[in-house]
Amino acid sequence: MTTNTFVAGTGWLYRFDPRAKLLLMVLMCVWFFLPVSLIELSTVVILVVLVGLYNAGWKLVVRTFLSILPMLIFMVIFSPFNVRTGSPLIQIKSFTLITEQGLEQALRLMSRFIGITYVCTLLFATTPMHEVMLALRWYRLPYRASLVVTLAFTYIPFISDSFSQISESHRLREADDETKKRFFTRLKDLLPTLTSALVVALRSIPNLAMSLELRGFGLENRRTSFHDLSSYPYTFTHFVVSCMIPLALWFGRSIF
Amino acid sequence: MQANRNALKVAVIAVLTAVVVVFTMIVRIPTAKGYLNLCDVAIMFIAFTFGPWSAFIAAGLGTALADLISGYAQWAPISFVVHGLEGLLVALIVMKKGDEPVSIFRKALAAVVCVATVSLGYFALSALFISTVSVAAAELPGNIAQSAVGFALGLAVSAAVKRAYPPVSSLAW
Repeated sequence: MTTNTFVAGTGWLYRFDPRAKLLLMVLMCVWFFLPVSLIELSTVVILVVLVGLYNAGWKLVVRTFLSILPMLIFMVIFSPFNVRTGSPLIQIKSFTLITEQGLEQALRLMSRFIGITYVCTLLFATTPMHEVMLALRWYRLPYRASLVVTLAFTYIPFISDSFSQISESHRLREADDETKKRFFTRLKDLLPTLTSALVVALRSIPNLAMSLELRGFGLENRRTSFHDLSSYPYTFTHFVVSCMIPLALWFGRSIF
Repeated sequence: MQANRNALKVAVIAVLTAVVVVFTMIVRIPTAKGYLNLCDVAIMFIAFTFGPWSAFIAAGLGTALADLISGYAQWAPISFVVHGLEGLLVALIVMKKGDEPVSIFRKALAAVVCVATVSLGYFALSALFISTVSVAAAELPGNIAQSAVGFALGLAVSAAVKRAYPPVSSLAW
């Protein structure tokens, strides 16, 4: 099971300070909800996709698009019928099927959805997870919260492997073909596997708690960290750029 | 002593969060329209066994992390709120007072609250922030089925785990 969202690369987004990148992500998500025209919105979305293409490569761009494709299809099918006002675009006798406003709203929603998806994906694809955690701690995320997330990421592969092994061994004991079973039979057969996997996971809790105590968790001493974000020397400049990008896109709309 | 208890709390939440992520991403049951994931099974198990705060944090954080890892980062805040609330409310309803078992009425109420929180939560937040009312409504049946199956399985798994690993009660806080 892959839990790493980072895609190796050398683009400018990789050299951007993660703290400033987090701010930029939030500001861009807000930007997509501002009252802008469809053309302006689509242009910014195309710019974001191009930034992704340049920095993280076409594979990530295509993969991300494919992951949201079902949702986009839903939007194309359902959204235009939702808006009944405006000039009719497609009519069957006296019944208006799609209006101009309906189509515009569907396209607006799709653009916004694609934009937010790519902005969020690019942050996690161009920043290693431990740097995201360091950036969040810089924004005053409590130490315990970041410790929980880090430990959870460590335990996901362990629990996932345990689950796969237990699942395989349970399957070996069964004579029936899995695919021929009815839905409820399959659900019922899943119970022993889920129970065993949970027991394996729960048994690791006392050991983890003990190792945390042995490493001094809960003591009053100030926490030290092996990793830091000092490899990003232009933090202030990057923060300024993060604020400038959404502002430039807002005030530069007349160019579009 | 307090430090020991805090270490146990962190360990419990971290492992339970990982459990929710694995149940969301790995365990998938094919259906006619796609897949059902079992995040609700893990959430119900935690709510029935570990109490409201563990359920809130592990459910919210676990599903949000699963969304981030799977490439659905835009859903992460919504999943955090909806599933966190689901775990919290169900755990509050089925919270034990002493040794008396949870009544059928409270279990039924918890089931209704579980299904309602997931389906209406996703419907409202998705319609508000991501799509439209009609698009969000199209996802209602899937969410209802997933949370209902999740509740039933979670209840069964919770009882089975308590029988198979009795020390689990000492881990709750």
